[in-house]
Amino acid sequence: MKYFRTTVCALALAAVATTANARDLVMNANTSDPAQKQAMEDLIADFEAAYPDIDVKFNLYDHEAFKVAMRNFLVSDAPDLITWNAGNRMKVFVDLGLLEDVSDVWEAEGLYEKMPAVVGASSVDGKQYGVPYAYYAWGFYYRQDLFDQAGITETPTTWEEFLDVGAKLNAAGITPVTIGTKNLWPAAGWFDFLNLRVNGVDFHAELMDGKVKYTDERVKNVFAKWAELVEADFFVENHPAYSFQEALPFMNQGDAAMYLLAPFIVSMFPEDVRAKVEWFPFPIIDEAVGIYEDAPTDSFHIPVNAKNKDDARLFLAFAAQADNQTKTAGTLDMLPPNVNASVKDDRFAKGGFAQLSKADGIMQFYDRDTDPALAKVGMQGFQEFLQNPDRIDQILERIEAERARIYGPL
Amino acid sequence: MFPRPIQDASPRAQLLYKIALPVSLIIWLLPMIAIVATAGRSLSDLNYGNYWGVPTEWAFIENFSSVFGSSSIGNYLLNSVIITIPSIIGALFLSTLAGAGLALYKFRGRFVILALFIAGNFVPFQILMIPVRQLTLDLGIYDTYWGVILFQIAFQTGFCTFFMRNFIADLPFELVEAARAEGVSEWKILIHVIVPLVRPALAALAVLQFTFIWNDFFWPLILIQSDELRPITLGLTTLKGQYISSFNLLAAGSLIAALPPVMMFFAMQRHFIAGLTLGASKG
Repeated sequence: MKYFRTTVCALALAAVATTANARDLVMNANTSDPAQKQAMEDLIADFEAAYPDIDVKFNLYDHEAFKVAMRNFLVSDAPDLITWNAGNRMKVFVDLGLLEDVSDVWEAEGLYEKMPAVVGASSVDGKQYGVPYAYYAWGFYYRQDLFDQAGITETPTTWEEFLDVGAKLNAAGITPVTIGTKNLWPAAGWFDFLNLRVNGVDFHAELMDGKVKYTDERVKNVFAKWAELVEADFFVENHPAYSFQEALPFMNQGDAAMYLLAPFIVSMFPEDVRAKVEWFPFPIIDEAVGIYEDAPTDSFHIPVNAKNKDDARLFLAFAAQADNQTKTAGTLDMLPPNVNASVKDDRFAKGGFAQLSKADGIMQFYDRDTDPALAKVGMQGFQEFLQNPDRIDQILERIEAERARIYGPL
Repeated sequence: MFPRPIQDASPRAQLLYKIALPVSLIIWLLPMIAIVATAGRSLSDLNYGNYWGVPTEWAFIENFSSVFGSSSIGNYLLNSVIITIPSIIGALFLSTLAGAGLALYKFRGRFVILALFIAGNFVPFQILMIPVRQLTLDLGIYDTYWGVILFQIAFQTGFCTFFMRNFIADLPFELVEAARAEGVSEWKILIHVIVPLVRPALAALAVLQFTFIWNDFFWPLILIQSDELRPITLGLTTLKGQYISSFNLLAAGSLIAALPPVMMFFAMQRHFIAGLTLGASKG
């Protein structure tokens, strides 16, 4: 017993001792998808090869645990680097004074010119608080073979064509769209795109900032479009029972043809299915409204309470370099924000990149753009709407009450 | 209505019993079966939605080896042991002392003290998150094994003291009086009279505490950051993705994590049952 206690003490001391090294760089991350994990490990290995004196300690969390742990470690014993998301999610912590202003890194590395697409999302009041390593486009992943089977020759570019595609698929006994709303956020992707296509980016941004009522007529127009899809049986049944990942087998089994989603799904199509999957962007609804897209951005940030900020800045500069961005985004099936980096040579990444290049404006994502508490109530509302479109007025009133609570009455 | 042996029942009742037993067992074990089956599937099977059917390929070995390969699960297991064992020893040691004190000495306010120990169990532990984190920071043991160990000892001692106090209070007090009459010191009474008698209770508590502390996710999450200090409950979450989860690996990892408490239970089963029912059949 005595021996055991000594061992425990020794191990604890050893653990304390190893964290005291001057050039240790501690990084806490929520990038726990298999591809994300791989991308981070590669990036860290490359960084350590370039700076042999620095030892990176990589602490990986799953996303939900990270959200809990983050609120603790940022105010107490902060790591030197964290992964997080640009936009409002970052702003929440910037407003609390927990994230470091890294405008100097942007300045020194000339990132304003190299990463023009993500400057806005990384800024609060004109200062930058993070360096993005990847962003991605949302769009429809669809089964070409099922489209052929239903006699669809071209992907839809307008709302009428989209409705027509749905009708043809339904006639062929194929559910047009699979979705799993147990996670709530897959439904938010639909809301974002519909609102961007119907009302444009300025209105969407105002809505996200709580400056417009959810009971506004223009919001109701969005749900009127969405209701057309629900009534035309576009969506799989019982979607609130499935997580987004559990809804994927419908597409793999050939029961559903399309999925509005982001590139992290690509690796989940089994080989033979992936060969038949293609991509198209969300169709245009109103010609007068420009093309606006959701492009969620993932980035590195330095906590204000970090101990080794110098080396953390080195890491940010390293991660922003074109060749490193090419490699990281390639592993992730995502897009590199650095314009000098090259986009992975596959149809999903190329398609997403082409669409974002055409875009007149970019948002992050519903639950990244608006207040987290409002996002939750809003997304629960979307889920309920998909089940009961008739209840839309009550649902919007409920979301509006939450908006008024957070942003104040209008 | 004491349960009679099934052999005494009518043949029809026996037949019903023989059918109902395996059926209910299977239903009851379905979640376990699902985990074991998932641990043997390939990811492509899961993506095809083949959750219950025969796997297209058995991937037990691949899954378990990639759990060991892609995460430092061996290290996490060791950390769990390093945290759990001292916590149990500490909690049992303190609660035996406190339990004996409360049971054997008639002093004023002892009921209030016991009530305080019990009341500790009713505090939702989540509300302790911020004060405990601050305390460990101030003590300089944040992000070390000791932070978690000390908290587990402190928190579990409440329940253990309640448990031990009741056991010791149930012992015949004459034993203590006889020892005192012989001039045995109080300390020796505890060691030579009380502890041997409460051994089944200690064993039962040890098993219970082992599962509580081993399976605890919350406190390591709050008090530990470094990957090399994480226990298995926290380590397993690294297999869960931000968007995508490899459920087969998660299932394989969970099986590995669940083994020690199960083995502990079987090893101590005899004491566990004896400890829980000790005194229960007293007239």
